[in-house]
Amino acid sequence: MNVISVDGLSKSYGKGGTRVDALKDVSFSIKQGEFVAVVGASGSGKSTLLHMLGGLDRPTNGYVHIDGEDLYGLKEKERAVFRRRKIGFIFQSYNLIPVLNVEENIQLPLLLDHRQPDKVFVNDLIHTLGLQDRRKHLPSELSGGQQQRVAIGRALAYRPAIVLADEPTGNLDTRNGQEVIELLKLAVRQYHQTVVVITHDMNVAAEADRVLTLQDGLLISDSSSVGRSL
Amino acid sequence: MKSYGAMAGRYLKQQRRKSILTIVGILLSVALISALGTMGQALKDNVILNAKYNDGSFYFGYTESSPDLYAKLEKHILVDQLGIYRKGGEIPLQDDYSITIDKTDKDGFRLLPIHLQDGRMPTAKDEIVVEQWILDRLPGTPKLNGVAELKDTDGTTRSYRIVGVLNNQQTSQTNGSSKAYAFSDSSDIALDSGTQLLLTLKPGVDINQQIESFKKLNPSFFTNDDLLIFMGESGDSRLNSTLMIIFSTLVGLVVLSTVAVIYNAFHIAVLERIRQFGLLRTIGASPGQIRSIVFREATVLSAIGVPLGLLVGWFGLWFTLSIMTQNGMKIMTMDSFELTFHWWIMGGSFIIGFAAVYLAAWLPARKASSVSPVEAVKGAGSIVRESFRHVRTPSLLSLMGIEGRMASNNIRRNRAKFRITTFSIVISVTLFVVFHYFTQQSLTMTTTTNENDRLAFQLLSNSSIEEDGSSPQLSDVVSDNVMRQLGELPGVYRVYGNYQKLNYQVLVPDEKLNKDYVQKTGNSFERINDRNTVYSDMYLYDTARLKEAAKYLQSGTVDPMKLAEGDGVILVQTVKPMTVDDKRELMPITRYKVGDKLTVMGEYSASPTARQLREVTVAGILKQSPFESPYQENTLVVIATKPTFAKLVTADSQSVYTKAYGTARLGLDIAIEDGANSGPIKQELEQIARTIPGSRLVDIAAEQKETRNYNLQMKIFVYSFLSIIGVIGSLNIINTVQTNLLLRRKEIGLLQAVGMTMGQIRRMASAEGVWFGVIGSFWGILLGLGLSYFLYKRLNYVRGFPFDFPWEASLIACGIAMLVGLLSVQTPLRRMAKANLLEELREEA
Repeated sequence: MNVISVDGLSKSYGKGGTRVDALKDVSFSIKQGEFVAVVGASGSGKSTLLHMLGGLDRPTNGYVHIDGEDLYGLKEKERAVFRRRKIGFIFQSYNLIPVLNVEENIQLPLLLDHRQPDKVFVNDLIHTLGLQDRRKHLPSELSGGQQQRVAIGRALAYRPAIVLADEPTGNLDTRNGQEVIELLKLAVRQYHQTVVVITHDMNVAAEADRVLTLQDGLLISDSSSVGRSL
Repeated sequence: MKSYGAMAGRYLKQQRRKSILTIVGILLSVALISALGTMGQALKDNVILNAKYNDGSFYFGYTESSPDLYAKLEKHILVDQLGIYRKGGEIPLQDDYSITIDKTDKDGFRLLPIHLQDGRMPTAKDEIVVEQWILDRLPGTPKLNGVAELKDTDGTTRSYRIVGVLNNQQTSQTNGSSKAYAFSDSSDIALDSGTQLLLTLKPGVDINQQIESFKKLNPSFFTNDDLLIFMGESGDSRLNSTLMIIFSTLVGLVVLSTVAVIYNAFHIAVLERIRQFGLLRTIGASPGQIRSIVFREATVLSAIGVPLGLLVGWFGLWFTLSIMTQNGMKIMTMDSFELTFHWWIMGGSFIIGFAAVYLAAWLPARKASSVSPVEAVKGAGSIVRESFRHVRTPSLLSLMGIEGRMASNNIRRNRAKFRITTFSIVISVTLFVVFHYFTQQSLTMTTTTNENDRLAFQLLSNSSIEEDGSSPQLSDVVSDNVMRQLGELPGVYRVYGNYQKLNYQVLVPDEKLNKDYVQKTGNSFERINDRNTVYSDMYLYDTARLKEAAKYLQSGTVDPMKLAEGDGVILVQTVKPMTVDDKRELMPITRYKVGDKLTVMGEYSASPTARQLREVTVAGILKQSPFESPYQENTLVVIATKPTFAKLVTADSQSVYTKAYGTARLGLDIAIEDGANSGPIKQELEQIARTIPGSRLVDIAAEQKETRNYNLQMKIFVYSFLSIIGVIGSLNIINTVQTNLLLRRKEIGLLQAVGMTMGQIRRMASAEGVWFGVIGSFWGILLGLGLSYFLYKRLNYVRGFPFDFPWEASLIACGIAMLVGLLSVQTPLRRMAKANLLEELREEA
């Protein structure tokens, strides 16, 4: 069953001579439980694609369906709620809320929805992420790797339909980077989660079930893992 | 954490210092608004009290009564107090003195301006109150509670018990006729055209609305104008709305500046976290939820700041005033002043405080909620993405070298931030200029003062002049020696000689006559020798008087030596005539300049000869008369020293009086120091008076004290008002300039990293601070001028006067704005100098 389906997606910035086509007629679909990596050179349109998948920006043309819902058919407020419930984000720079502790950061999407978090699930998540000793710590008291683990926890807390990760290992050393990838893979296995990772790092791409390659806004290849194909 | 809303509290706690600063901002603004309100109310109460003191506390009355009118009013459901007043005839006493016993009833004593010095008001028909100075001249020289036998105007002798002593009045002492009041009532006083009725309405009745219906009862209806105007109940609805417009403009300005202070505080708090709000958006927070976080913060801050502000405002004012009255400013003896608590002020300040906070939070909240999540994700590390713009015209700051050029670019680079910063300074400067203008105008409107206010005693002589001109020229009634001795008495400020006043005419050529005056008043002048004859009062000033005149000098000199050269005189050419549209307006009657020749005609003649004409030179021009009434209606005031005055005297050979009085000192005016004990001075003067036959001592010490006190109180109010406004304005500028700098902490770290020294950064930031002061002052003064002119136009309806450019206020405001701009960048810079460079660079929003 397709969780993400992208159809004829285009995005342009600027007008006339300064017009830049960041995405050109991109179409693909992703099944539930897939771990997909999107690769490409700088300026190829990776981040734009991620923003479109996450409902953060509006496409110039085309459709994005997540879990059967037309993302851009929703109103601004509905899209915010949809994002909160169906999409988990992980950023390169962690982007935690500095005034909230580890546990609260993880629970934030649920709190925004006026819902009481499922204690058992959150506990399980914190254990899985190896953060049980850091529950009450503020982000400023954590290492980079730990902060990224909290961000993963926050992305998974709502058990979203998809998790979108933008260079999640970009700020981390090799060991911490590997740990983060392992955790994302664990999420796919343990929670049957769909994960889309944008990366420069071919080692990360090698871990994915499927790799989408972008160049100048065009989807030039859609293949199973680079590693496996080698 | 139970709900996302708790994040607001977390933010406030985490940024404790900033939260406290914001609370202090709110607290001060609310304190200032409530203090302004309380002081404004106290000012109004004071003005009303003064109007009641001078003119009585009745709202309106009828100069002629009738039994029918009295009956109607007595039964009228809206009438609260109804007084009857009948003027008495003059009863002659020994030595040319007299007394008039007016009759009034219980309410009349309350409604009329009768001021007891000692004792009580009469309650029975044989009881009377008299002025203090007449006691010695009454038959049997009775004291308080003594009995005086007086022969009434109808010839019957009646005995009155003196139950109260009234304050001495200048006019009655000068005329030698004391005021006295006896008790009577409607059964005794004839209700005819010689009896006045005075009344007030019940509390809560709209006075203004009732004026017409009361007017219809009798054509002799009149209103207590000043009191009703100050109560905002004048029958003239245009006047009421004028006062309302003025009041609303001023309140509006204060509220606007408060909103600006709080807005700035919130703006920085939001701007610093704009990225976090963006992140919340990416994880699914709706714009409404972001707004609600900002509004929650606003609620918490105002719930602490507003009540504290009310407390601080009230106690701050109470404390300041009590210090003022108890310590160094004892001389002002503000014993009649009481700080009154008004719920409407507290409630109003509370509402304004909360409304201002929400209004101030609204824009930042909207901004926070509209942050694009994409921008937030992209702009890792940077606070706000700015839209830079190129500056084409080089700024004066460029002259300062690289720091100046950078400062100039920094100021102009972001239009929105530039507008916010200058807006805050503009509003502060405008506020100051407008309040300065308005308070100065209301001060001159409510307290037209000159040296006359200081006069506590007058010594008058009464020389008999023979009509046939056989009287010799009089000599000084008081010698220079006595004058000097008096001047040395403790508590005496100055002693002035009193001389005759010449009522002459000045022949003014057309080009020296103010055309505007002729046009506005419609007055015309008799033409003699192709010139206009303008009435003129000519005074002789001794050195003591000239010293006072120096305070009012507009141009030229008042130096007696210089005046003596070439027959120099001093002019007061500003008059206050009634214009054709029935309005008092200040304007010059003539347009003489220092050095101009003045042709004076002593004795009237349609074709004057050299014998009647004198030529003098204008040596000085005063803004207003230092003594007597500050402005004449249509008369030019000419002041001369003794030698010149002696020449002027000879221009009228017809009048036996002019000739006999000459330049003789006919009496004295004694001014005393504020708070001085007038008792011993009076005793001394009484002794001198006994040595001068036919002399009369006029005691106006009590009246003088009252006037001086009132004027000082008004000044205290006005200057406290202005100081508060200055504080609001400065606070606003500090807040804005600091915000502007603090937001660029990271950028300044970067500049340090590329090798800019802290000294260079300080020069750059100081140049920015001062330049913001300059730009803000420019627009602020312009706007302030516009608003002042608007207020002037409104005030002009109440009283006409020329528009003075508010130079003083503009200079003060501009100076303060630049100084505050310069000083307010220093603290954040010091903090930055101490901070770790790497931390600054690494710091995330």
